[in-house]
Amino acid sequence: MRAYAAAFSMRLKMELQYRAAALGGILCQIFFGLVLIALYRALYASRPQTLPIGSVVTYVWINQAFFRMLLSWDTDLLDKLRTGAIAYDLCRPVSLYGYYYARIAAMKLVGSLLRAVPMLLFAILLPEGWRVGPPVSAGALAAAFAGLGLGLACVTAMECVTMGITMRTIDHRGVMALLNLLMVTFSGNLLPLTLFPDSWQRVITLLPYAQLLDAPIRLYTGERPLSAAPGILGLQALWTLALAALGLWIWRHNLRRITIQGG
Amino acid sequence: MSYITVTDLGKTFTVRKKREKGGPGREKTLVRALSQVSFQVEKGELVGCIGPNGAGKSTTVKILSGILVPDEGSATVDGRVPWKERREHVRRIGVVFGQRTQLWWDVPIIDSFRLLKEIYLVPGPAFEKRLSELTEALELGGLLRTPLRLMSLGQRMRAELCGSLLHSPELLFLDEPTIGLDAPSKLALRDFLRRENREKGTTILLTTHDMEDIAALCPRVMVLGHGRKLYDGALTGLLSRYDTLRIAHVRYADGARPPALPPDCALSREGDTWQILYHPAQTPTAGLLTLLQSAGAIQELTLQGQNVDHLIAAMYEEMAL
Repeated sequence: MRAYAAAFSMRLKMELQYRAAALGGILCQIFFGLVLIALYRALYASRPQTLPIGSVVTYVWINQAFFRMLLSWDTDLLDKLRTGAIAYDLCRPVSLYGYYYARIAAMKLVGSLLRAVPMLLFAILLPEGWRVGPPVSAGALAAAFAGLGLGLACVTAMECVTMGITMRTIDHRGVMALLNLLMVTFSGNLLPLTLFPDSWQRVITLLPYAQLLDAPIRLYTGERPLSAAPGILGLQALWTLALAALGLWIWRHNLRRITIQGG
Repeated sequence: MSYITVTDLGKTFTVRKKREKGGPGREKTLVRALSQVSFQVEKGELVGCIGPNGAGKSTTVKILSGILVPDEGSATVDGRVPWKERREHVRRIGVVFGQRTQLWWDVPIIDSFRLLKEIYLVPGPAFEKRLSELTEALELGGLLRTPLRLMSLGQRMRAELCGSLLHSPELLFLDEPTIGLDAPSKLALRDFLRRENREKGTTILLTTHDMEDIAALCPRVMVLGHGRKLYDGALTGLLSRYDTLRIAHVRYADGARPPALPPDCALSREGDTWQILYHPAQTPTAGLLTLLQSAGAIQELTLQGQNVDHLIAAMYEEMAL
């Protein structure tokens, strides 16, 4: 375990070096947050919806704040696959999957916290109707945090599946373009899942993408009651395990037939 | 049983090439990287492995370090099959790929070293001792807090080597470790490797294109070409077969020119120095000297053998590589 913990903390350290990137990300996400909220306010002004606007605004802010958790990939690993430097990682006495799972989790954790904390502080200070709302209860906040943790575990497992596919295609761009589209659509980043028609919601909230941020946000805003928390967290855990098992299988299979690029 | 036993090892890669005349799809070609390679290495040996580009050297190293799975044949290192008992195997070995990096690009190298310490579960005191030993030998003391990206190639190479040796491996694979190094760095590196081998009993398998590496380090050399083993034995034994030519440089005090020489000798001129290529088997050196002296008073005379690189080139040519 020590090795994986060390890989995790190493990646934390490294991610902290990219502070300028984080600042750029914050500005970009704040801009997107404001534009999206202006859009939904206009929509509500012309045609009020059943879901309160405050809940949509909070949804948008939290989703934007944790954008880096959804869409970020280990560029080091991609480079290593492309150039063949992965050879070094293959001669370490660790599970390659576990090693990269730890690294990717650390990257997503720091990447999103570096941006989320200042962004949410900013979003609290905004005027009424624009600001991020408080959690419905202390219990809801605790459940949302647990959900966020599981969301991180789930998105990391998902990323490892993507990487497993990339190992075969060598270049990541084609696969990534497709998967990113699915990600922004079904994670609620493009349009809050709470605004989809009810019949759609019944299906898309079961997909793995909804387990990342949508599930914890619904607990936070009280859109799902605290009594539903065990079921929600259970579904998150289930998807995490399923994706981790799939990823592990793909990686194992890949290593048996790997070739090292670049001589 | 030997420490490393390789029997009839074979590996084929599929290479997809673009078709020559446009057209859709790609041509698949099979490249036989290794075929029926067998050898043994005993514990504590220092073996060099040479061969032209694409001869199968790196493939051999990758198979023996558990990265690649061969298609045919078998290999064991210390009784283990590298690609089957990968984790147990790699715990005991160190690998340096001269053209790649294992250290983290953006962080100080000491952080990378500490990560390696955790990966190989090196106990704290043993790590500190080994680190100070290695930083001294590789002259890395002042660089530990420097991120890798700010280092020169030579510094980086020494850092890579340090990283590969932190867990005191009993077997070391070096794939072109002196690539791109300047002369002092090369000498220091060779010196260091020799000491590791002698004092710690580390078994070393080295691939290189630098014949000086081989001449300085390896009592035993293997030649690979087209995926086959072509020679396995002492370097001197290998060279003596091709080392048939000597070069004499002669300068006369009064600007005289050499007399007529036997037909196997080739004469050329560089300024006031004459260069004679000859085959000692046909024209013994003593006979040639007598002839040269007959033309006038010799002011300066040097005799030299061929450059090792020339010999290797001649050998590759004869082996049709």
